[in-house]
Amino acid sequence: MQSFFQFSRGALIAAALTATAGAAQAASMQDGVKSYKPFVVEHIGKAIAGAKEMQTAVKAGNLEAAQKAWIASRKGWEAMEPVTGTYFGDLDKLIDAWPDGKTGYHAIEVVLFSAKKTEGLDTQIADLLANMDKFEKRVTDKKFGFAPQKLLEGTANLAYEVGEEKSGGGESPYAATSIVDMQENVEGIEAAWKVVFADTLKKKDAKLAVLIQERIENLETLVKVTDIKSMDAKKVHIAGEELAALMLQAAPKLGLKPFKVGDEDGDKKDEKK
Amino acid sequence: MRTRLGLTAAGLAALLAAGAAFATPVVSTDAVLPVGSELNGELLDQPTELFMFEQAGGKRSYLFNLGDMLFSSSAIFGGKARDAGMSCNSCHQQGAANPALYVPGLSGRPGTFDTTGAFFNPKADNGVFDPVTVPSLRGAKFLAPYGHDGRFSSLRDFVRNVVVNEFAGPQPSEQTLDALVTYIHEISFLPNDKLAGGGHLTDKASEAARRGEKVFNKPFPHEASTSCATCHQADAAFVDHKVHDIGTGGFFKTKTLINAKYNAPYFHDGRFDSFDEVVGYFDKHYDLGLTEMERADLVAYLDAIGDADQPTTRNSVQAELDELAAFVSVLDVAIPARDKDVILLAVDSVGAEWREIGENFPDRKDTSVEGGLSERLKARASVRDLVLTLRQVAMAAEAGDFTQAAQLYGDYGRLAADAAPRLKAAERWSLFNPDVHARHFAALAKLAALGK
Repeated sequence: MQSFFQFSRGALIAAALTATAGAAQAASMQDGVKSYKPFVVEHIGKAIAGAKEMQTAVKAGNLEAAQKAWIASRKGWEAMEPVTGTYFGDLDKLIDAWPDGKTGYHAIEVVLFSAKKTEGLDTQIADLLANMDKFEKRVTDKKFGFAPQKLLEGTANLAYEVGEEKSGGGESPYAATSIVDMQENVEGIEAAWKVVFADTLKKKDAKLAVLIQERIENLETLVKVTDIKSMDAKKVHIAGEELAALMLQAAPKLGLKPFKVGDEDGDKKDEKK
Repeated sequence: MRTRLGLTAAGLAALLAAGAAFATPVVSTDAVLPVGSELNGELLDQPTELFMFEQAGGKRSYLFNLGDMLFSSSAIFGGKARDAGMSCNSCHQQGAANPALYVPGLSGRPGTFDTTGAFFNPKADNGVFDPVTVPSLRGAKFLAPYGHDGRFSSLRDFVRNVVVNEFAGPQPSEQTLDALVTYIHEISFLPNDKLAGGGHLTDKASEAARRGEKVFNKPFPHEASTSCATCHQADAAFVDHKVHDIGTGGFFKTKTLINAKYNAPYFHDGRFDSFDEVVGYFDKHYDLGLTEMERADLVAYLDAIGDADQPTTRNSVQAELDELAAFVSVLDVAIPARDKDVILLAVDSVGAEWREIGENFPDRKDTSVEGGLSERLKARASVRDLVLTLRQVAMAAEAGDFTQAAQLYGDYGRLAADAAPRLKAAERWSLFNPDVHARHFAALAKLAALGK
C-alpha cells in the first residue's frame, strides 16, 4: 500500500485518508481519533512484517537483507511516534531502548550495521517481535481508543523532538538512517494532525490552522534530503519548535487543555511495571 | 527520539581507563563531524570559570552576558561548525583549554586542531597540515599578541578571524565583537596559593620549587644574558609579548606559565605532554647542562606556578540554571530595544542550551537509569515548555509584535521559576549525579562494544 506520506501530497490527501485511515476526513476530533487508529494498526503491522523479514534474513545469514528489513521495520515504528511513548511507554522503552543495548532496535542496529554481523541476534529479534505483538494486541483491542488530548500532546512533543540536535547522527547513528526516522516522524505528525485536529481547528481559527499546515509542509520539505549531513539543521530545529509551539496555541482552541508539567504523572504506573 | 552521541573503540578505551573522564566520540557516518571526533562535552567536573569582575566585587554587564551567551552559541559560526552545534566553548571549555578535543583529519593529537584546514572553511585551507594547541583563554587580556605565531595584536581581530575564517561564520556585528571581547577580557587566571604578586612563590611552595625558581632565573651557560625568565617574565604573567624561534619550526609567542599545569599538551603544536618533556627539550636545545636534580626542581617550579587552587568545579543543576538566567537576561534589554537580531540569537542559543540540559534527565528509553522516572519526565517537560515559550518570543519578534514578545518573555520567567525546583527534584536521577552518569555512559560503551 502506498504510504500516507506519499499520498498526502496535493490533491490526493482525501484519497489517502480514506485509504490509510479507512474513513473520510474526520468531522470531529472524536471521530478523528477513531479514524486515526487504523493508521497505527497499519504501521505496527509494517514494523512487525519488517522484523519478521529481518528474522528470516538473520537466520539465513543474509546481512544485506537483514539491514534492509531493519530499516523497513523501523519506518513503521517511527511513523507511530506520536503515540508510542504516550500510550505504550512500557513497550517503547523495550522496543526503542537507548543506550542500554540489551534489547530493541538499537541493540540489533549496532550488530547489523557496525559489527556487520548476523550472528547472536536471535534472542533480540524474538524479544522485539514479542513486544511488538503485545503492542499490536493492545492497539487492536476493540476497547482501546486514542484520546484527542493525549494525541495532541504526543504529536506536539514529536514536533519538538524532530527539532532536536541531530549533529551526532541522530536516532539511528549506527545505521546512519536517522533522516528516514525523521521523515517517518513527520509523516506521523501529519497523519495525526490532518485526521484528528485540522478540520476542527479550521472552524475555530482558520488562520492558525493554515499556519500549522504550512509548518508541517515546511518540515516535510526540510527533511526530504538524503541524510542528516545534507539537512539544514538550524532550519529543522526552528521549524520543529515553531510547529510544536503553534500546536500548543491550538490546544485551547480545540477545547483541549494546554500541555503542562504534571501531565506525566501517569508514568508512575509505567515505572512500577 | 534521542540525540546523544555514541562511543568509538578509542572512546571506550578512554572511558574504561580514565574512570570518571567520560567521553563521547562520534560513531555515526551520518554525523556532521568525522567518526571518532571528540568534543569532550560531557564533563561532570568542568574547568573552573572565574571572572575578574567577580574578584573585584562587580557585576555582569549586558555586554558581558551577551558575550557569555555568544561564546556558547553555534549561531555565530557557519557551515559545518554551526551544523555540528560547535561554539567557542567547544574548544575553550569554560574559557580553558580542551586537552581531549580531537577531530580526525584536523587534529595531530588530542588537544590540537588545524585552524586552516578545509573541513570547516575550504576558503581558509592553506594546504598544510599544521595543527596547533587549543589555548586557554584565562588571562587573555594580558597575553597579547594573539594566535600561536602572534599574528594579531588585537583580541578583537583574533576573535573575528576565528568566527569568519576558521569557522566560516558571517561577518559579526560590531555589538557581537564587542560582547565577545568583553567576555574574554573578563576570564581570569585561577587563584593559586603557591603564587604571590610579582610572580613570586609563597611559603606554600615546596623546597624543590624554590630551588627550581633559582634554576629558572639562572643565566644559560652559553648565553649569559638569557634565562628562562627572560621570556617568561614573572612580574608580567610570565610572558614577554614576543615571538621567538626556539627551534620548533618557526616563530611562536611566549606562553604564560600561570595555570599552565592544566594547559597540556605543550608547545604550539602540542608535541609535549608534560613539564618534564618541556624542560628536557630546553636542556638539550640550549645545552643547559642541567643535573637530574635541577631538572626535577625546575619541573617542581613550573608545577607550582602553573597550579590552581580549584582547577575544576562539579557541574550541577543550579550552576546550569544560573548560567542560563544570565544568558537569557539579554532579553531584558533586547526586547524593549526591539533588537530583533539579539532576540533571535538569544532564543536559538538559550533554547539549545536548555535542550542540552534536558538531555541530562534520561527519558523512559534509557533503561540504564533506575528510579525517578516521573521526576525525570517532569524535568524534561519543564525544559520543553521553556524552549517552546522562548520560540514563541522569537515568533512574536519576527512578526514585529514586541508587546507580545514581552508578555511571552514574562511567561518564560514564571515558567523558569517553576522549572527550577522540578529540575532539582530530578537531579539525583540525572546525569548530574556521578553514579547515574557512570551507568549511562557505561551503557553507551557496552552498546559500542556490541559493534565490534
